[in-house]
Amino acid sequence: MAKRLAPHVLDHAHPLAGPRLAHRWVHPLHGGSVNVQEVLQSRLLLVTGKGGTGKTTLSATVGRLGAQRGRRTVVCEVDTFRPALTAVFGQAPDYEPTRVGPNLDICNVTWRDALVEWLGDTVPGKRIVKAILDNRVVQTFLEATPGLRETVILSKIVKLCDQYDQVVVDMPASGHAISLLGVPGVAMNLMRGGPIRERAVQIKSRLSRRDTALVIVALPEEMVVNETVELWERLHREVPELQLPLVALNRSAAPSLSGDEIALLDRLESDAALSDDPAARELLLAGRWEAGLEEATAQALERLRAELDVNVVHFSRLGALGGYEGGPQRIVQQLAAALARQELAEQQA
Amino acid sequence: MNIQELLSEKDLIICVGSGGVGKTTTAAAIGLQAARDGRKVLVLTIDPAKRLANSLGLKRFGNDETRIDLSPLPDARGELWAMMLDNQKTFDDLIEKLSPDEESRSNILSNRIYRATADNISGSQDYMATEKLYDVVNSGRYDLVVLDTPPVKNALDFLEAPGRLARFLDKRVMKWFLQPYDEGRVFGKLLMGTSAVIFRLLGYIFGREFLAELAEYFHHFRDLYEGFATRHQAVVELFGDARTAFLIVSAPNGPSLEVAEFFLEELGRRKMHNPGLIVNQRHVTAGGALKARDVLGERSRMLSADLPTHTGGQLLARLGAAHRRLRELSVIENGLVESVCRRMVRGQSIWSVPRLEEDVHDLPSLGRIGEHLCEDPKIVGTVG
Repeated sequence: MAKRLAPHVLDHAHPLAGPRLAHRWVHPLHGGSVNVQEVLQSRLLLVTGKGGTGKTTLSATVGRLGAQRGRRTVVCEVDTFRPALTAVFGQAPDYEPTRVGPNLDICNVTWRDALVEWLGDTVPGKRIVKAILDNRVVQTFLEATPGLRETVILSKIVKLCDQYDQVVVDMPASGHAISLLGVPGVAMNLMRGGPIRERAVQIKSRLSRRDTALVIVALPEEMVVNETVELWERLHREVPELQLPLVALNRSAAPSLSGDEIALLDRLESDAALSDDPAARELLLAGRWEAGLEEATAQALERLRAELDVNVVHFSRLGALGGYEGGPQRIVQQLAAALARQELAEQQA
Repeated sequence: MNIQELLSEKDLIICVGSGGVGKTTTAAAIGLQAARDGRKVLVLTIDPAKRLANSLGLKRFGNDETRIDLSPLPDARGELWAMMLDNQKTFDDLIEKLSPDEESRSNILSNRIYRATADNISGSQDYMATEKLYDVVNSGRYDLVVLDTPPVKNALDFLEAPGRLARFLDKRVMKWFLQPYDEGRVFGKLLMGTSAVIFRLLGYIFGREFLAELAEYFHHFRDLYEGFATRHQAVVELFGDARTAFLIVSAPNGPSLEVAEFFLEELGRRKMHNPGLIVNQRHVTAGGALKARDVLGERSRMLSADLPTHTGGQLLARLGAAHRRLRELSVIENGLVESVCRRMVRGQSIWSVPRLEEDVHDLPSLGRIGEHLCEDPKIVGTVG
């Protein structure tokens, strides 16, 4: 643990790997926002963020970790046509949870199946449910009824919470996540009674529980940070019962270049003697992107903490500038190790 | 096909692809390039996250068409306009337009369900996108409209949006549902047979009060059905028009290229015009390994005389490592793009846009992306 890391290792290693960097990188944790430990121990975990930030990978990672620790875990997707979990687990999730490892299931909460189950739970009598579902007119009506889709999907997720120790939901991206989570509130405003309102109340109470956690996945890019800030502002307004989220900053880079090194990089870049040398340009550009990523990471961390006032946990980009070699399974393994280290650091703090 | 031909021949370009691949930036860069060539262009974005404003260097803009100041690019001969979609506003405008009279208009706009859901229910974003599109394309105000599609959880949502709403408002279905409403019985009076059972059940599920409101909501919409159906048909035709092109946008990584392959297939199946795929943010190198010490050692020594002694050596080591990763990445990306290429049909193009040295959030850098797009693409089925 006390081993000092050679400079070239720093680029690849997780920043928390060594005490020297831990000192620079672990920031005091925020009291009001969840931390990694709470995320790992949550009963219901909702993972959202801008498209392409790594929501699915993070969801799978938390699920893996929970299962390894002996908790019965299910990782679910929400009504996706081409489930992203397939790439991570090597098999497509169905509506009914299927086993992918010890203690670990995956599923896809497709809305039609959720509707059938919901009707079965709500309406007395199987024959009546069948009569409803066989009627094309009623089907169209149910499809057209605003908010029903979201309500039955969330109902299923809440139901899963009673069957598993942990339910990790790989949510849709930003705007769609707000629509999904905002529906119970709208339903409660519109309905005075009836089963839908009851479900909406149940869902809201589940969302407000201390063991429900939200993770927003982000990247160290200005636009992604903007969207993350905006996403939480809107979620907080429309689903006020949610607790402050943990933000996971993926593909970040620990500070490794010193001020002197950056000064020298600047000089080399503006050096007339090198301006026509393609090899020099290529090396300097590679260096500039590294420096840029380190700087963007620092800025993203600062903005997220200042503007959202939440805990931010960061994961170093893996492999070549955030490349995907080694496949999703390997990324999940590395990410799981990083999460566990972060949790340990929290416990020690 | 190259971009210049596309920009001059088409009057609607729709950018599709997974989230986070630079769709918005690409749409803006394409629009800007056409404007530089003298066309009057509107870039329409549906993204609730206001990213187009970001990439155009604006703070933000609303549901109105806003003209972008192109003075930072003195060679621009045309006009660039941008607009971001406001769901609720678009829906309100639409209802205003389609309502037969003032009364039915205000009935809908004041309906509680309408107010609560128009902006809130997922899917309406996709629908509104097509709706607005129909409007601006038909206004004749622009030579070219570039559409940045919303982030889609189900990649087909967008293409199917117009059909979904029209299906919801299917006349027969609504008639069945609204029959008791129209006859003034509003659930609760005697209904016969299956209908009675189903209505009782729906009443049980939704609550009678809500069901009555829902009936009213659908009832008001019924007046608009013809309008919706006509516009749906028009949007379907627009998508299939010879002057419309779909461009798939991707980042050079596995997950987003997989979505790109999916779009290739679907657009092909639907016989929509898809000239090809734009791969953004490519990491390009000359190919060879470089020794930082050999290339930069001498200048580094000269320029770091006043810096601590180890500075030069450390920086060079880091540059070498960074360059090795860059090469690795470039090889990985080439492999990924090659494999997508095999899924494409003869004559389709792949445009590779190299990652720029700087982040893209102003007109000059958008302009540089446009210039890269104008370079000759790799055309499937040809050598080189």
